[in-house]
Amino acid sequence: MADPKQAGTVRCVIVTPEQTSLDTQARSVSLPLFDGLRGVAHGHSPFIGRLGAGEVRIVGEQGGPADAVRRLFVEGGFVEVAHDEVTVITQRAVPAEKVDLAAARAEFDKVSSMRATGDEEIAARFRAQQAARALVRAAERRG
Amino acid sequence: MAKARALDRRRKSVKNIRKITRTMELIATARFKKAMDRSVAARDYTRQLAKILENIGGVGADAAHPLLESRPTKKAAVLVLTGNRGLCGGYNSNIVRQSVALLGQWRSEQVPARVSVSGKRGISALRFRGVDIAERYSQFEDKPEFAAVAPIGQAYLDAYTSGAIDRLDVVYTKFHSIAKQEAVTETLLPLAPPQAGGGAVKGKLASDEYDFYPSAESILEEILPASFLSRLFKCFLDAAVSEQVARMVAMKAATENAGGLIKSLSRQYNRARQSQITGEIMEILGGVEALKK
Repeated sequence: MADPKQAGTVRCVIVTPEQTSLDTQARSVSLPLFDGLRGVAHGHSPFIGRLGAGEVRIVGEQGGPADAVRRLFVEGGFVEVAHDEVTVITQRAVPAEKVDLAAARAEFDKVSSMRATGDEEIAARFRAQQAARALVRAAERRG
Repeated sequence: MAKARALDRRRKSVKNIRKITRTMELIATARFKKAMDRSVAARDYTRQLAKILENIGGVGADAAHPLLESRPTKKAAVLVLTGNRGLCGGYNSNIVRQSVALLGQWRSEQVPARVSVSGKRGISALRFRGVDIAERYSQFEDKPEFAAVAPIGQAYLDAYTSGAIDRLDVVYTKFHSIAKQEAVTETLLPLAPPQAGGGAVKGKLASDEYDFYPSAESILEEILPASFLSRLFKCFLDAAVSEQVARMVAMKAATENAGGLIKSLSRQYNRARQSQITGEIMEILGGVEALKK
């Protein structure tokens, strides 16, 4: 990390159960924590956080233009930030440009029309709705 | 002539079978490499989860979670992972034997066990032995996907938290190395508590630096199901890798065996042909001798 060429960047690693889907150097990373977005740039203090559903935005990847943004949709999981390294651990990471808007909308409708009785089921539906809504939003932003 | 021709026909058919087994061996080798790559790629996730668990353990968050508490087993669940196809040596039968032993143990303790089986081979073998199978999966081939495994795992998690099952055992073939795979029974639920071993001192120092959002307890609550799912997924991956290795080894042995068989058949055929020729010569000589007189 002390490499002078990489000064001012953070390393961003995204791990899913199947593979390491991304490992790159970037200027900053913005993360969808469970209660809102949080940006991480070089020199951020270490933390471990829970992720909600939303987009991880990676700004200024090395080797590309400084304002290029790569977006990945993640659904829950964790993030660990330490020593200028952002590790996102999630069950699902889809590049935002591959999210299918129609499928996302259908998923949202399906989830919304689910019947839920009792606190737990209502909470589960709410979570599923939020995830589907975030997916729709990710798809819309691209389209 | 009849005997020599029959030998020749047998030799030809063995040659054809050898072609098939060699092709299967090559296919299994290619699939094994792919499955192995997937298995290696999946290790990162487990490692990262373990790292976070270690950091949380260092903070001293108490590990009281429904998934960690072990209860007396009143209802058990057993998941058996076999292959969809045969021709892979003892791979399927080892698993079936292991699972029958486990089921026998539950029966002797009079614990009702809910059996789920993945793989057509296991399904038919266990049905033959009169096991009542609750769920059958035959969609898992050599590339199990997490998205397909997760719902199964989630169903077990829900059943465990609601008290429908008190224990989950998975019978599968663990992959140690290319030379060693063994059928094992692993208890996935209740989860083994996060081990604080290894770099405990180092972990503690590191964890002092971390902030937790929202809190260490809440992350622990979320991370345990995730680590259960990843362990279950690991079982599926191991089973897939082991199946390919088993098929590779079995087909290699079959190819070698066919080679030996061809050699001995050739020898027999040549001998038969030789003795036939000798016999014919003797007959001709006998005829000549008869004419001379």
